[in-house]
Amino acid sequence: MKLKKVTSLVMATMLVTMTLTGCGGAAAQESTEASAEEATEASAEESQVEEAATTEEMAEEASASGDVTIWYYWENESHQKALDEMIQGYNESQSNVSVEAKYVPFADFKKQLSIGASAGELPDLVILDNPDHASYASMGIFADLTGKFDVSNYYEGPVGSCTYDSKLYGVPFGSNCLALYYNKEMMDAAGATVPTTWDELKETASMLTTDKVSGLAFCSLQNEEGTFNFLPWVWSTGETSYTIDTEGGIQALTYVKELIDSGAMSKECINWTQGDVMNQFISGNVAMMINGPWQVPTMRAEAPDLKWEVALIPQYSQYASGLGGENYGVIAGGNEAGALDFLGYATADEQVKFMMNTMGYISSDKTIAETQFTDDAVMKLFVEQMQYAQPRGPLAEWPDVSDAISLAFNQVITGAATPEDAAKTAQGTIDSIVQ
Amino acid sequence: MLKIRKFFRYDNIGLVFVLPAFIYMLVFVGYPIISNIILSFQNVTVKNLVAGSKEFVGLKNYQDLFQDTVFVNAIFNTLLFTVSCLVIQFIIGFALAVFFNQNFRLSKAIRGLLMMPWMIPITVTGLIFKFIFGTDVGVLNFALQSMGLIQNNIEWLTTPGTAMLAVIFANIWIGIPFNMILISTGLTTIPQELYESASIDGAGKLQKFIRITVPLLKPTIESVLILGFIYTFKVFDLVYVMTSGGPVNSTHMLSTYSYKLSFEMFKYSMGSAVANVLFLILLGVSMLYLRTTTKEEA
Repeated sequence: MKLKKVTSLVMATMLVTMTLTGCGGAAAQESTEASAEEATEASAEESQVEEAATTEEMAEEASASGDVTIWYYWENESHQKALDEMIQGYNESQSNVSVEAKYVPFADFKKQLSIGASAGELPDLVILDNPDHASYASMGIFADLTGKFDVSNYYEGPVGSCTYDSKLYGVPFGSNCLALYYNKEMMDAAGATVPTTWDELKETASMLTTDKVSGLAFCSLQNEEGTFNFLPWVWSTGETSYTIDTEGGIQALTYVKELIDSGAMSKECINWTQGDVMNQFISGNVAMMINGPWQVPTMRAEAPDLKWEVALIPQYSQYASGLGGENYGVIAGGNEAGALDFLGYATADEQVKFMMNTMGYISSDKTIAETQFTDDAVMKLFVEQMQYAQPRGPLAEWPDVSDAISLAFNQVITGAATPEDAAKTAQGTIDSIVQ
Repeated sequence: MLKIRKFFRYDNIGLVFVLPAFIYMLVFVGYPIISNIILSFQNVTVKNLVAGSKEFVGLKNYQDLFQDTVFVNAIFNTLLFTVSCLVIQFIIGFALAVFFNQNFRLSKAIRGLLMMPWMIPITVTGLIFKFIFGTDVGVLNFALQSMGLIQNNIEWLTTPGTAMLAVIFANIWIGIPFNMILISTGLTTIPQELYESASIDGAGKLQKFIRITVPLLKPTIESVLILGFIYTFKVFDLVYVMTSGGPVNSTHMLSTYSYKLSFEMFKYSMGSAVANVLFLILLGVSMLYLRTTTKEEA
């Protein structure tokens, strides 16, 4: 009798887990992929050994050797091609280290890194979103690069994002920030001028709004992407990411509410990624948008006839923008020497310029950034906007803070809470995290 | 030696045959479940995932969860989602199965075509419904407006209440073929003679349905409902694609909330605690299912 009970329990467990195979199947597939990769890597290593034997004299000098795997998340094809081209250039320039890049979708990137960290299966180098850098540095997966890499020429914000416990855990790849894009034809047709303050922006947005066109749009997803787009409004009032329940914080939330209530901004922004916002803009459904410079190459290619320009994000009491971009992080215990050697190549002037220009990024290296754009008015505006760009964090618990902030503006946009209540709730969460 | 030989005589030899499957289950099913349970009793975040001691905190994660309004809502949402999907899917699926069982011309072909929603990858279905329910560009609002049923566009996916409706609607669309095909199969096992003799006895169509079809389909109905429950209760991809749990956490299911806690907020222990609650509920339902099926066999 007892045995019967046990068997039925086991069977029930099996039934549940068998039906839960949605994730299981994918994981199994991944692991086979991984093992296939390992196999190719292994054979690559063998040929490497042979090569190394023939060029033994050279190998003695350079300590870096072996394979280096990079994980990145850019879904944009031109970004991927640029990275591949740079890697190919590096692989051809020397014969000791062989670099290979692997695309991991942004939505899965954090998950893969976490799983990889606990299973000890990480790449040697990752290119990751800068607000997440501190979290992973605190996890201990990055190698300490203090003294191994010179970042004195770099902008403070990006360097700050890869610093944790006053140690350097990464190298800024490149930066971007947000600015205001506007449809020139719609602007002229409505007889509007480029807004520079919040009041002007609201007025212009209302003027540009018609049956089919919303005046303004910015990504308001309830995640990091939305927080990135919302925080400039808070910063513009002089508040910080950690002081939301203040006059300025409530002011920012109220401003967004007014934009939504007046119909100048569509509520659907809470479901739009920055890419979706850009698509709405180039389809003519949106007259103005907040977005980053990485959209520029795509917009020029997809909508060559669309006339648009960029301007600084209108201010409340000071200019502000979100600092975005990626950092290189060298995985501790991986092929650190190989990864560093590649970084040396990738951060040289020529490579940085090539990558930044193809991707629509701004170099984190001050000296390169200043001379990066000479005749491109759009990109020059972004360089100007960069000086007002503030980083998110760096803080190991940033994801929690970000979640509280994105919940607040989502509550306000959907009308689930008043700006005052939303700010209060968010502040409660933030205070419990940041003492 | 004799004892061993005696042990393997007759029934016990079966144990040996079961052994490979048992070991497989132990490694690939048992281990993850147990390590997940252990994880939910610890306090694992980004800080101690790789290095550092994993502090044992007992039931604290579960206590915290039941204080968390998003989690309590997620349980409620999951139940609401499951029950409403199940009831409507089942009724429509049943009706369609009976209808196509009439064997008119093209009935088989059309029944095959109706399987389409079940065969489309759920992420694709999710995206399609996301477009259909769009506020300004959605075809649903366009259709409703053209028919004069609504004045202003309904903000389906950006208002908490209607977002839930939209997700439920999409899942019903996916689930109908599943219900229909299983009930159709059940219907074919009912001997025609029963209906014939009932006709001779003067039974009407409704009587035949209630007295013959429903009782003889009882085992099929039970399986359909319980498998449907498990399948619906663990919904993830559809909700993740359509709303990601939003707006304002209003469509979070246990599965999506578990994912969010673990992989977006890096609270691994809390995430696994949510997964365990999900698992426990499904385990209870499966036990119920096995009990009903074994009873009938006995």
